[in-house]
Amino acid sequence: MEDSKELGLEQLTNCAMCADMCKHSCPTYLATGKETITPQKLARLILYEEKAVLEDRRGFFDVVFQSAMCGACKAHCIYGNHDLRDYILRARSKAFQEGMLPNEVRTRVETFAKFGNPRGERQLLDKGTGVVGYFISCSAYADEQLPKAMDRIVSASKEQVHHFGGADICCGAPLYYAGDVEGLRKAAEKMKAEIEKRGLERVIADCPNCLKIMTQVYPTVGVDLNVELIHTTQFLHGLLTEGRIKVSSTEATATYHDPCILVNDLGITTAPRDVLAALGFEITEPVYSRKETHCCGALPGVRIGDADVTRKVNQMRLNEVMQTGADVYVSACPTCKSVLSEADMKDITELVAERLVDE
Amino acid sequence: MSVEAFLSAKRGRPSEFIETAKRVVGEENVSESECDLIAYSLDYWLYAVSLSQHGKPPSLPCAVISPGDAAQIQAILRLANEHKVPITPFGGGSGVLGGAIPLEGSAVLNLQRMNRFISLDETSLVAEFEAGIIGANLERELNHRGYSMGNIPQSHFCSTLGGWIATRAVGQFSTKYGKIEDMVLGMEVVLPDGSLLDIKPVPRRSTGPSLKDLFLGSEGTLGIVTRAVVSVHPLPRSTDKQSYVFESIEVAVDVVRRVLRADARPPVVRIFDHAESERYFEEIGSKVTVIFICEGEPELVALEGAIIKRIAEDNGGQSAGEKPVDIWLEKRFDIGLGPVLMQHGGVVDTIEVISLFKDAAKLYHDMVASMQAVEGAVSVSGHYSHFYREGACLYITFVGFPKDLFPYYRDTWVAATEATLRNNGSISHHHGIGYWRMQFMEREHGASGLDLLRRIKSALDPNGILNKGKLVGDGR
Repeated sequence: MEDSKELGLEQLTNCAMCADMCKHSCPTYLATGKETITPQKLARLILYEEKAVLEDRRGFFDVVFQSAMCGACKAHCIYGNHDLRDYILRARSKAFQEGMLPNEVRTRVETFAKFGNPRGERQLLDKGTGVVGYFISCSAYADEQLPKAMDRIVSASKEQVHHFGGADICCGAPLYYAGDVEGLRKAAEKMKAEIEKRGLERVIADCPNCLKIMTQVYPTVGVDLNVELIHTTQFLHGLLTEGRIKVSSTEATATYHDPCILVNDLGITTAPRDVLAALGFEITEPVYSRKETHCCGALPGVRIGDADVTRKVNQMRLNEVMQTGADVYVSACPTCKSVLSEADMKDITELVAERLVDE
Repeated sequence: MSVEAFLSAKRGRPSEFIETAKRVVGEENVSESECDLIAYSLDYWLYAVSLSQHGKPPSLPCAVISPGDAAQIQAILRLANEHKVPITPFGGGSGVLGGAIPLEGSAVLNLQRMNRFISLDETSLVAEFEAGIIGANLERELNHRGYSMGNIPQSHFCSTLGGWIATRAVGQFSTKYGKIEDMVLGMEVVLPDGSLLDIKPVPRRSTGPSLKDLFLGSEGTLGIVTRAVVSVHPLPRSTDKQSYVFESIEVAVDVVRRVLRADARPPVVRIFDHAESERYFEEIGSKVTVIFICEGEPELVALEGAIIKRIAEDNGGQSAGEKPVDIWLEKRFDIGLGPVLMQHGGVVDTIEVISLFKDAAKLYHDMVASMQAVEGAVSVSGHYSHFYREGACLYITFVGFPKDLFPYYRDTWVAATEATLRNNGSISHHHGIGYWRMQFMEREHGASGLDLLRRIKSALDPNGILNKGKLVGDGR
């Protein structure tokens, strides 16, 4: 999140006067056909809000919460690097301050205030030793299968990994997307304390969004975790290439759904495909993959504040992925797995764990 | 009345129409919210875009209606006739002449929910899409399956198939693959009275005047295209890139003429004048640069490449290699300068016209000189970009920093159009007419030509429902 004082209007106006050259990549637009939520139109509306032209500010705030915040527009920007999300976040921050959050978002924020996470009461997960940590994201906590798969892999690799998560340990992403800057800063400080408390030097994150928040967003609110942070696909790729785990090979086909944040913010597309190739899968790409991937829509009230838009984006991505007819559908994000569950989606960690063989 | 005042003219809210429309398409698909009305108030007509940056909401519609299929469009148009509510069809909103601006508070019919790939027939080399699909998404669907439509306009990322049909659009690879009218075989159209016309997809037929052609270029005034069957090509297995530098426009145009006369068909041919060459190709500087891309089967590409090389070199062309072609490929969608200049008080726009080869160079010199003479002009430059055996499209870009925006803008357009007409050219090659160019329609077609178009419009749309005030409107 950029410092709002540094966000001038020139870049926003460039977006507002563009021909909408990134709209073809925008999942919320493609799923709804709504011109209003294309990046260029959002930019124009935010510009009008900045110029105090708009009368229906409630309507405006509802619109800025219809973005998936996936970064596809940035990845396809003709200017090279405009990130409209900075301006959307500034608008969302105003909505937060003025008490005009959409209901779905307000519910998440209120739950967070009560339980320290967006989902409600949870047990603390805290086991293992060593300086390498595995942070169990909120979606992975809810999924349960993913931490178990990680357990088996870690055990097979004979790595010392400290698992932690649950209870009130959350990266704060829901607060970030809700425009709660101070709440996010507190979540960042808490995460820093949790990591320091366990003496961790390296942390594996299973959720691309958590990884982005911890590596790219925390510094904007003055928090540096001072640890090496990697994604599970990078961890798995390392174990396989270093020969620290052995896996059996399959001849099945797999369609890999690129999680939007993993591609657009973290630039990771090769490691997961290498892991699948190491497992023997023949990869069947959907029409939209790698840089062209589409966001799954995430859970209602987290990134998109409108349940109807969320549902349409969920459904669009599900159709795109399942169109390949592959034997297995796989992703590298527990939220995507949960949202696309109709495809019996697996996390890549589970596929590795299922194919572990004893040395 | 000023343009601004005209654009912002309103009529009362057609309550009964809007409430009934909600029952037709579902309440969630009809909006009167301020944000939605602003979002659909403007296309990419740059003069209005320039005005929009100052926070003046442009021409607001009374409502935005987003149908999900042809049957809903039929019902909405019947309703519009009943209540005499004008309807502005809205595709990608990328038109550059105001064709999608909802004048006089008309209702916008947003066609972007209808954006699906339907089918590919690999035997017949045709594919079917809903008309609201964006060009880049259409191409991605085809490329994934090993094919291309070959229509890649600069608006590739934001314009729709339906918009291409409505404006008789053209893509950058047109010299081989043709223009949209060469690519569309069949289509489904909802007529202004709500009836449905299904034009079957065949390569050609002799069954009276071509109904298909009635809608190619009708700019949403005669019907709403809901889906279309288009011609596709296997992805090319070979590509050849060449470029040459010449001393004058005249020689460069003649070289391309000779290449086409020899029946070579490079998809991309572009002649950049001194100014554009300097802007695009730093290493070449202020000369005339021609780039060629040939693609397809290797034997054919090699042959076409050899023909181009021979003709270019025989006529004094200095080879500049592949690099200028790669630079163009890299920059071809870059429209970023316009918005930046407009923020600083400038105005930028483009005008594309066409003439026979015999007039092509003269037209270029006359247009540039006439437009440059308008007070406030800073830069006028051009390139030729779409070729035929008989002639070429000339595409002029102008930038001005005038004291008063509108007189400069208007006078530059008038100067360009007058130069085109006195050099036997046609006033638009592929951008269409929309709202702004309507003022020149009688000069283009003559009184009887315009009258004929108006009579066709009246016959199909007696209540004047569809895209009121555009193409053949009242000539404001």
